[in-house]
Amino acid sequence: MSNEALVNNSPVTEKPRTFGEFISALFKNVYVLYAISIISFLLIWDVLSVMQVLGRFLPRPVEVLYQLYDMLLNPLAGKTLMMHLWFSLRRVLIAFAIAVVIGVPIGLAMGFSPYFNAFVKPVFDLFKPMPPIAWISLAILWFGIGEMSKIFIIIIGAVVPCIINSYNGIRLVDPEMYDCIRMLGGNKRQEVIEVTFPAAFPAIFAGIQISLSMAWTTVLAAELVGAREGMGFIIITGMNQSKPAMIISGMVVIALTAWAISMLVTHAERWVCPWKTKLE
Amino acid sequence: MEDKAGIKKPKIECVNISKHFMEGQEKNHVLDTIDLSVRENEFIVILGPGQSGKSTLLKIIAGLYKPSTGNAYLDGKEITHPGPDRGIVFQRYTLFPWKTVMGNVEMGPKLRGVPRKERRRLAQHYIELVGLKGFEKAYPHQLSGGMKQRVGIARAYVNNPKVMLLDEPFGQLDAQTRYFMEEETVRIWETEKRTVIFVTNNIEEAVYLGDRIVVLEGKLPGRMKKIYDVNLPRPRDYTDPAFLDLRHLITEETELTL
Repeated sequence: MSNEALVNNSPVTEKPRTFGEFISALFKNVYVLYAISIISFLLIWDVLSVMQVLGRFLPRPVEVLYQLYDMLLNPLAGKTLMMHLWFSLRRVLIAFAIAVVIGVPIGLAMGFSPYFNAFVKPVFDLFKPMPPIAWISLAILWFGIGEMSKIFIIIIGAVVPCIINSYNGIRLVDPEMYDCIRMLGGNKRQEVIEVTFPAAFPAIFAGIQISLSMAWTTVLAAELVGAREGMGFIIITGMNQSKPAMIISGMVVIALTAWAISMLVTHAERWVCPWKTKLE
Repeated sequence: MEDKAGIKKPKIECVNISKHFMEGQEKNHVLDTIDLSVRENEFIVILGPGQSGKSTLLKIIAGLYKPSTGNAYLDGKEITHPGPDRGIVFQRYTLFPWKTVMGNVEMGPKLRGVPRKERRRLAQHYIELVGLKGFEKAYPHQLSGGMKQRVGIARAYVNNPKVMLLDEPFGQLDAQTRYFMEEETVRIWETEKRTVIFVTNNIEEAVYLGDRIVVLEGKLPGRMKKIYDVNLPRPRDYTDPAFLDLRHLITEETELTL
């Protein structure tokens, strides 16, 4: 097969020649499609708002933007938007760190020892399906409405994926890896260091990732009840003051933060498991 | 090499080996009364279709399975555990995905506590022997199947094992790569001679590689059906009439059991 035949058979590499071809190439560009998607979403939202399809409680996108701008500069309940965000983030980070420190070792121990697993599993299975929000009332009775009760609820939510993934990560290591390291002369300790931990690491890391997004979800629920600051507080204040723009701008900030966190974690993963993500 | 069996002590000896696995209450009989001795530096191929117990036999010699009856011996000593005096190459490669080519190959010496500089030098030698110079820093997922298996071979060779055990190592490769890897296997073996036990289900591959071919019966429990001596000069030619004759002979006699 000659080179010429190859080129003629691949229209993808050809430059558009007519205006029609240019337009059709434009609509096949993913970034153009992304832009169209977002613009049309905002347009539909704006039209729905102006036509008052959902009554008067759907603000226009510009109103949300103005509300965001307002909260950035003017404090709400004594704190600006960034300070509220920081309070939520701080709760998440503290609780998340505690959840990892508790959850990962428990999961690892369950994976390593079938006896420990049998000892812990029934109780864990009982608590596992319980949504963390169900603990809110109890947490307030136990710890009051201060930081402690919020952090407690977040830990409850964030610890579960840490345990499950660490446990499964250890359990699902390819047994042939162990055969291999034994044939190479590895002893029991070397098996754990050279095979078990690195092989289970991606699963454990994925658990930590899920745990972080669980923590971020739970903090809002915790802040909806009896908080004086934080993103949940902004939303609940918006409801109490009948300011839907405030609610939506809170939601937007929450979504953006969650997105930023997940980007950070993805980069961290690329850095700590280069063998997993280097190609594709 | 043909008539030294009586003079030299065998490198590997399997005496009356049988193996069954318990599946609940059921006994699954996989191997039956295998007697086999392998001479030093001999290239022996164990040939059998799927489910003939050939991999099980290899894993008994590796020390990964214990035989139900009988024993396997290496240099006259009973094999009880896996160990670095036997190098194994797996069908699924089973490389450590979190290690580079260098990291995989140097694993054996590293486990023995060989200092970093020394084990790097050792590993480099075998990486070059299998033709992977320039890929030391690549991760397994960046390599093709044939290259992965080269890493597998180097990783086993680097421990300077007395015996190389290869478990259908080219079963996942395409035909073209497979031919090439067979040639490479002979080249590597002739550069650094070892006793090799090579398991395959491919008759052509067996005739190309083996000094002797041990054919297992095609049903469980696996029994030894016949041993063929291959007296063709190396490098062998897949289209040589003598090669094709032996291939036909084994094919015909094997088909009778299927």
